[in-house]
Amino acid sequence: MDYVFTILILIGLFVILASSFDLVIGHCGLISIAHPIFYAIGAYISAMLSKQYGLPVPVSILCGGVGALLASALVAVPALRVSGDYLLIASIGFQLGLIELAKHFHEIGGAGGLTNIPSFLIKDFGRESYVVLVLVLAALTVLFIRWLTQGPYGRMMTAMRDDELAFSMLGRNAIWVKVAVFAIGSGIAGIAGGLYAHYFRFLEPDQFGLLQSSAVLTMVVVGGMRTTMGPVIGAIVLQLMPQVITFFNLPPSILGPLQGLLFTGLVLFFMFVRPQGLLPAADLWVGRKQQGDAGQSAKEARS
Amino acid sequence: MFELAVVSQILWTSFATSSYFVLFAVAFALVLKVNKVFNFAQAGVMTCGFYAAYVGVRILNLPGYAGFMLGIGGGVAMSFVLEYFGFAVLRQRKASAMFVFIFTLIASQFIAYAVMMIFGTWPTTIFASMFWPVTMVGGIAVSAWDVPAIAATVVVLTGLWAFLKYSRNGQFMLAVADNADLAELYGIQKDRILMLSMVLAGVIVSIGMFLYGTRAQVQAAAATELMLFAVAATILGGIGNIWGAAIAAVVLGVVQNSSILFIPSAWQGFLLFAFLFFAIVLFPRGFRLPERRNTLKRLAVAPQALSDGKGH
Amino acid sequence: MSATLEIRGMCKSFGGIVVADSIDLDLMAGRVLGLIGPNGAGKTSLFNLVCGVVKPDAGSVSLDGRSLEALPTYERARMGLARTWQNLRLFPSLSVMDNLMLGPRAYSADSLMDVFFRPSQIRAHEAEARDRALDILERTGLSPIAHSRVQDISFGQQKLVGVARALMNEARCLLLDEPMAGVEGQTYALIQKAVRDIAASGVAICVVEHNVAFIRDLCDEGVFMFAGKVLARGSVEQLINDPHLTELYFGT
Ligand SMILES: Nc1ncnc2c1ncn2[C@@H]1O[C@H](COP(=O)(O)OP(=O)(O)OP(=O)(O)O)[C@@H](O)[C@H]1O
Ligand SMILES: [Mg+2]
Repeated sequence: MDYVFTILILIGLFVILASSFDLVIGHCGLISIAHPIFYAIGAYISAMLSKQYGLPVPVSILCGGVGALLASALVAVPALRVSGDYLLIASIGFQLGLIELAKHFHEIGGAGGLTNIPSFLIKDFGRESYVVLVLVLAALTVLFIRWLTQGPYGRMMTAMRDDELAFSMLGRNAIWVKVAVFAIGSGIAGIAGGLYAHYFRFLEPDQFGLLQSSAVLTMVVVGGMRTTMGPVIGAIVLQLMPQVITFFNLPPSILGPLQGLLFTGLVLFFMFVRPQGLLPAADLWVGRKQQGDAGQSAKEARS
Repeated sequence: MFELAVVSQILWTSFATSSYFVLFAVAFALVLKVNKVFNFAQAGVMTCGFYAAYVGVRILNLPGYAGFMLGIGGGVAMSFVLEYFGFAVLRQRKASAMFVFIFTLIASQFIAYAVMMIFGTWPTTIFASMFWPVTMVGGIAVSAWDVPAIAATVVVLTGLWAFLKYSRNGQFMLAVADNADLAELYGIQKDRILMLSMVLAGVIVSIGMFLYGTRAQVQAAAATELMLFAVAATILGGIGNIWGAAIAAVVLGVVQNSSILFIPSAWQGFLLFAFLFFAIVLFPRGFRLPERRNTLKRLAVAPQALSDGKGH
Repeated sequence: MSATLEIRGMCKSFGGIVVADSIDLDLMAGRVLGLIGPNGAGKTSLFNLVCGVVKPDAGSVSLDGRSLEALPTYERARMGLARTWQNLRLFPSLSVMDNLMLGPRAYSADSLMDVFFRPSQIRAHEAEARDRALDILERTGLSPIAHSRVQDISFGQQKLVGVARALMNEARCLLLDEPMAGVEGQTYALIQKAVRDIAASGVAICVVEHNVAFIRDLCDEGVFMFAGKVLARGSVEQLINDPHLTELYFGT
């Protein structure tokens, strides 16, 4: 049973990660694959605050989210001031550099990993309660991103993706939109990181490297970018698939690369054979208020 | 503070080791300049080059030069595959820059995992021994690796320079780099030139990997870091400037290797990322992925000619 | 009367090509200035310089007496500078209506705080913008296609959407880059009327156009540009009939 709970929790966490990553890379069109580092920042901050400073777990998870949000702005502001493409290198450098740095800090467990992270809910209410918590938060994340992208902010992101220059000429600040969306997506990932830390109670820097990046990217690409359910389906499919391989009792030296091969192979397959993913996104943005009815008057909207 | 002999020894060794960094950076900068691709799949090419040489020397027991040729063959083959089945297809499809970049990244990861499956994750070298006999030259120990490595790098750089300057294909390459559409208009086969530059980069990095793999241990994931070094050098050297990237690679190589004088060796690996940041924050000028617009522009161009007769 | 838009000593060259050679130009409120010149004269480049899309080598621009020098493009737009593009630059993933909805100087979702914490304000703002968009669509005859994709409408209509989108700004100064190229018939009259109406409301307008009839019908005054220089300013009639300028224009 615990095995099933763990799978459900991983699915929930990856739904959060994939959806928030889709917000950044799909909806906003920001090229970055460093999403897992913000997951890691959230996880480590939350773990350290509760372990070393005794903060209540929910508070430390929130702090982890805020920390990830701030860290992402730290990367995005200087990079995006130059150009959107710079974010990519800056964020990869940040991701790999921070992992390298974490390996040298014994205070946070170093390369060996951080152990004995306080648990949450499980002692009092059982594992089911944590499963419910994670799945509820996953659903909320999906709904939140849907709400954001179908509102006026979504219209902005769509226009910016289409033509950034024309977008600026209308008086919209493209850099600010990018920084804000990058920060929101990263903050959400940070919260997912906290949830991860207090369930598995062990963190290791290498977990958050390029393998994790390709996994999340795969979920989004395979599921379908810029759709509400695409990343969800991607997360479920790609979380269950590797579980199947684990039943074959392969030695870990084969298992790791095999999973990596599976993830990257799937992305390549989808990129060339079905670039739109399982669920293709509509090519016309439709906001939530206008759906269906043509000329909606101001009076209706105000009432 | 430091003894002169120690300092000059470290400087020499760092200079010699920067030879392969230069090759990686030059190849990266060449592809960025000509193909306008930020080619992270170079790591995959490097890995293939190394393991081809490794198979030749360690498994088939071929002599060193045969391993060297095999290494180049491996790198070239992988470059060909990437360009033919990857980049060319994406180009034809007018895939966005983001899409192309993700392809390069995922392809390099895919190759790394495939290699891990086949060869395991243990680091290996091309020759059984990494130790090279040493000669003392004026108080500095010069290993038998140093001089050929530097010589090979100089030969490659000179060859590339001459190729770009004097050969027809080299000039075509620069024309494509300058303006691919215009070059095509003048009858240059763009796809052939892009393939050529990819393959040339494959040759250069394979030579670099041969040098690296005869001196240090390599495992499937190692190429990524080596390549990030090339990225930093390319940015620092000025985008589109191949020789600037080469010089930046020497400087970075010397700084990283001689950093042992100032910081604990455990932190040396971290320096690479410091470089990347430094490059991005302080020398951001000029770096851009190419922009592709394929939506409204075509519509807009055609009726332009109708505009009332005037002006044409 | 002081000018709405003042361009002073504007210089710019790309490599060897001089696109602006110390250009001085004033745009007056309520007046339409026609910018004429052969291909490559630097007309579009001048717009780009004014909008901050291209950084000038020297020179300054001010709008209503306030210098735009240090401001990025979006800030200039927020001060009341609007333009259309020679190659349209509409947003293909948005409907005509949503293309316009992004146009107001202040957009509903410019502040994230509002998005998250003042939904009612956002709604009011959106409704207001929608009303204005509907009004402009009505005036430009685009109402029937308000919810179409911009790829699905005719080229003339696309041009008109570009103008309509710029109108959402309620700009002080409007720059139109070849609004008539490729447009005929009914749309021609619609664009002309729209521009006239806007000028009448006190906006300074500059139109780049190769269509002489359009320029003659519409503009109060004309400027002739050649190789980055303003060669002549005067009535459109005068400019068109000047044999020297005509020669330059046709490059004979
Ligand atoms: N970003 C740029 N980089 C290099 N050259 C440029 C750039 N923008 C414009 N030019 C060059 O400057 C010259 C003037 O261009 P511009 O677009 O301003 O002309 P124009 O007067 O608008 O012509 P047309 O009537 O054809 O639209 C052209 O030769 C063009 O190639
Ligand atoms: Mg023009």
